[in-house]
Amino acid sequence: MTETKQKEVDLLALFSDVAPAADAVEQLRLVGVRDDEINVLSGVPVTGAMLGREPHPTNVPKIAMGGAILGFLTGAFLTFVTPYWYPYPIRVSTQAYVPAPPTVIVLFEITMLGMLLSTFVGVFMDSFFPNYRPMKYVPEISDGKIAVFVECESGDQNKIIDLLKKLGAESVKPAEAQHL
Amino acid sequence: MADKKPHDEHSHEEEMRKKHLMLDPLPRGKMNEMVMEAMLEKPTWKFWVVFLVLSFIVAYCLFYKWYVLITKGQGEAGVMRPDYWGIFLVNTVFWIGISHAGTFISAILRVFKAEFRRPFTRIAELMTTFGLVQAGFSVLMHMGRTWLFYWLIPYPNQRMLWPNLHSPLTWDLLAITTYLLSSTMYLFLPLIPDVAMARDRSTGWRKKFYRVLALGFRGTEGEWRHLHNAMNIFAFAIIPVMFSVHTIVSWDFAAATRPGWSSTIYGPYFIVGALHSGMGAAAVVLAVVQGTMKNMKYFVRGEHFDAIGKLMLIISMSWAYFYFNDYIVQWYGGDKWTRIMLHFHEAGPLGWMWFTMLIVNIAIPWAVLWNAKWRSNPWIISVVGIGINVGMWFERYLIVPVSVAINRMPFTWRLYQPGIEVPMGIGTLALFILLYMMASKLIPFIPVWEVQEGQLAHEFKKFGRETVVSVSELE
Repeated sequence: MTETKQKEVDLLALFSDVAPAADAVEQLRLVGVRDDEINVLSGVPVTGAMLGREPHPTNVPKIAMGGAILGFLTGAFLTFVTPYWYPYPIRVSTQAYVPAPPTVIVLFEITMLGMLLSTFVGVFMDSFFPNYRPMKYVPEISDGKIAVFVECESGDQNKIIDLLKKLGAESVKPAEAQHL
Repeated sequence: MADKKPHDEHSHEEEMRKKHLMLDPLPRGKMNEMVMEAMLEKPTWKFWVVFLVLSFIVAYCLFYKWYVLITKGQGEAGVMRPDYWGIFLVNTVFWIGISHAGTFISAILRVFKAEFRRPFTRIAELMTTFGLVQAGFSVLMHMGRTWLFYWLIPYPNQRMLWPNLHSPLTWDLLAITTYLLSSTMYLFLPLIPDVAMARDRSTGWRKKFYRVLALGFRGTEGEWRHLHNAMNIFAFAIIPVMFSVHTIVSWDFAAATRPGWSSTIYGPYFIVGALHSGMGAAAVVLAVVQGTMKNMKYFVRGEHFDAIGKLMLIISMSWAYFYFNDYIVQWYGGDKWTRIMLHFHEAGPLGWMWFTMLIVNIAIPWAVLWNAKWRSNPWIISVVGIGINVGMWFERYLIVPVSVAINRMPFTWRLYQPGIEVPMGIGTLALFILLYMMASKLIPFIPVWEVQEGQLAHEFKKFGRETVVSVSELE
């Protein structure tokens, strides 16, 4: 790409199918556009493999695991610790004061609750939800079009527009942030 | 040999397309438009009449009667010795049962990649959330002092006493809360792309509403990946949660040493019973949606009723197996009180309920659902579904107040006579239907992106001389 510092522009190319969009991603890479300067938006899940890109990193499983551990510890606190905090503990004959089988139930429920709540929160954290600021988007995406956003320097704009059009883009235009 | 007509490939494909939604794709924009039309269609006068009648029933039977129950006390209900557990708990078990269909259809079928699930997962998931709301209400009604429900929440009270976490009633709170929260989140996650679609196609207050719900979703690779991961975790994790909920409900009974209740098979028996009523209800809801909402005949077809019908048949057989298993062991045990109670079920004043239960839960489903043509008919399958729900409600009635009536102290025997519980129970049913009606106008009932994803994965393929359907693994 050009050496001198130029103004960056965002281009939006709309494709009707995944295959030309994947070709476009490949060709953009060949002309020197970095992977992190390309973003693909779609109305159905389009995986990294379909686009010939590395899968997008996600922390959701790790966050879920963290939530499960936190849930387990909360359950353990409720079942193993709180009975000993009673001012007047009632002990019945030879019965265990903290019996194991009911403890398993409480541990299971609270572990699962922790895991599922954190999975949900994980989606919000990883996707930066909710986000109501103006964003680059066109409604055609939810109508099935595949949008390829490319960040490039203004000097390369025409070259990239030509390339994307040659690869089957239905339209290529500068992307503008708007309230969704 | 008779002359065989040459194989008409084109008409075979046409027929397949007509039958199967996954083979009959429309442009995404068109499908979006159809789903939006169904949601935004101006309600007819019939809709308003049903809406107003249901609103009145909810206001009077549920909330006003609840006010009466609170101000006058539990004496308004028919619960007294020995029937301390009445219709409120029958309804709790019933509604939790209904809620199981949503998870079954959405999570289990998603895990096993059953393609027919795609258009009706949301309709089923709504059943889970709305059913659990009614179950929660029913428990609160049963508590009597509803306003003190927070005593169940695990925190120390003024005397530094924590709730007894080894009591089945505390397990109930934990299990139902976990299930309600997780099923609501599981309903919301796959809804995000659809509300984003609705946001792109709305104006005015709806635009604002969907904008808030869509959370800024645009469909980036990252957003899809996080969503997909989360939905997979939910689909796997919510299944054991669903199993635990009804098993814990069954332990409320099975952990007691009462005749008829103390059973080791109650956990799985309750789960199968829950799925039985839930699948029946799902068939009814699907038939109503297909029959009353615009464009739904494209998305919900005979193949879907056929698939639900097969599941209903298998579940009916499983329920019969578990019921008989529970019955034969209790009957063979020879305990005097259990024998009297079983005889009371069959030949007592509510014997008609016992026989009806067996007819509508076993005989009718087996007689009807073996036939592919019958089970593909929305009207026939909904009649069977309504029958199953009546039968399953009777089953819970027999388990709760009727079984409680017979105990080891004959001088206390008394047949339960319900009071205020009846209108309040009707109120929960009306609220369930009302919530569905409101949801039909506010959220897209069809997960369009899931339907399109399925359609992209399906294609015709030549296999020898035959054209067969091939499904690709897109995930």
